Formats: sequence, C-alpha cells, structure tokens
Amino acid sequence: MSPMTMYQLIALFLLCIGLFGVMYRRTLVGMILGIELMLNGAGLSIMASAQLTPTPNEIGQIGTLLVMGIAAAEATLLLAILLVVSKRFKSVEAAKLTTMRG
Amino acid sequence: MENLAYIVLFGHIGFILVGGFMTVLAESLVRALLGLIMTLFGVAGLYFLMAAPFIGLMQILIYVGAVSVLIFFAIMLTQAWSGGDEAKPRSAKTFIYAIMGALAPAVFLGMAVIRTAPPSIFTPEETEIKALGQFLLEPYILPFELISLLLTIAMAGAVILGFERRKQR
Repeated sequence: MSPMTMYQLIALFLLCIGLFGVMYRRTLVGMILGIELMLNGAGLSIMASAQLTPTPNEIGQIGTLLVMGIAAAEATLLLAILLVVSKRFKSVEAAKLTTMRG
Repeated sequence: MENLAYIVLFGHIGFILVGGFMTVLAESLVRALLGLIMTLFGVAGLYFLMAAPFIGLMQILIYVGAVSVLIFFAIMLTQAWSGGDEAKPRSAKTFIYAIMGALAPAVFLGMAVIRTAPPSIFTPEETEIKALGQFLLEPYILPFELISLLLTIAMAGAVILGFERRKQR
C-alpha cells in the first residue's frame, strides 16, 4: 500500500468517526467534537494529496492552513451559540431543544 | 532506518485511532476532549512526517492551543458534564443508525481511494517558509484576506451573540 493511500484512509477514518460522533452524541458539545474530527480529516487529506504527488507543495500547505483558520472561526461562533442556547433552554441536549413540543 | 520510519508512522496512526474512538465513545465529555487532543497530536505528527513542520506547528498552536481550550470553555460554561446528559443510556436504534451513517461513506470513498490511488512520492520535499509566504501574498492574496475577514466577522458575531439580552415580555 502506498503512503498516499494510507494517509487518505486515515483521513477517511477521521471523516467517518466524526460523522458517527455527530449522530451518536446527545449534547451539542459532543457534536462539536465530531465536527472538529471531520475538519482534521479534511486538512490531512488536502495535505497528503499535495505533498505526496507532483502537485506544488504550497497549495496543500496553504489549503490546510485555511481549513485551520475556518475551524478556529467556527469554534468561536459555536461557543457563543452554545452559551445562548444553554441560557435559553437550560440544557444543551439536542433532543430537548424544542419550543413547540406537541 | 526504514523500519524506524514505519514504527513512527504506525505509532501516530495508533494515536489517531485510539483518540478518535475515545472522542466519540467516552461517557464523560472531558475525557472525550482528551481523546480529541490525542487525535490532534497524532495528525500533527503526520504533518511532520510529510515534511511540513510549519503546518504541524500551526496544528499544535491553533487546534491544541486554541480550539480545544474553547471547547473546554464550552463544556464548563454549559455544564454539559455535570448534568450527565451524555451518560444516559442511548437506544440501540441510535447506535445502529449512527453506524450505518458512518459506514456508507467509508465503503464508497474507501473503495474509490484504494482503486484509483495515484502513484505517490515516498520522500516528500520540504517547502521553505519564505516560499509559502510569497505564495500567500502574491497569487493567493484573496483567500488570505478573506480568511482574516472571516475571522473578524466570526469574533464580532460571537461577541454580539454572547451579550444578547433577553427581550422584556
């Protein structure tokens, strides 16, 4: 197995386990952990496909850096949203966040 | 020498696998966060192995230093850990649906990755940081500026959301 395939499979593992976490966790905080895993997989995949093929290396490194910047911005916003949600609903459990329960 | 490289590679892969499972399966959210940090360090190690030390350091700085602290603040401020919401038993249906949802992309993308793998370079070259900076400021200046704008807007939005007052009824 070539190193490229191995790195891409690890990135795929991170994507799938992130998806699993988003679906399996009860609280919004646990879902954020899954999203971070998926973003890491994206960065790893971009980096591997630029470093291990004849593509110019800069593209992959800058792409990974941009993914990290977006992850940082997203984490900041998610923290604020979680604060508002927990103030309003007194809980961050995803199943409890309804205002019109029949 | 080559064996040592493989040991290092599989060590990092083991870190990522164990950390990933810990992140999604641990009952306490703080332990799940520790698993996430383990995964992040493993990915940083893979960046170092791919001859990109700058990005590896950025990974440690941004993810381990900033994002995980933010998530820890989220855990503390929402009291997600003391309520024990995570520890409640889940129905078997949720587990099966989650497994199915995670396996679908794994099967299709995994087959695509294995069957159409391009030939890969065994020893990647290291890029100078000077070249990276030149690349970022000459042809790719628009994404660079846009990401700074995005960060500013996200921070401002977070502050505005955080100071939101309840409307008087």
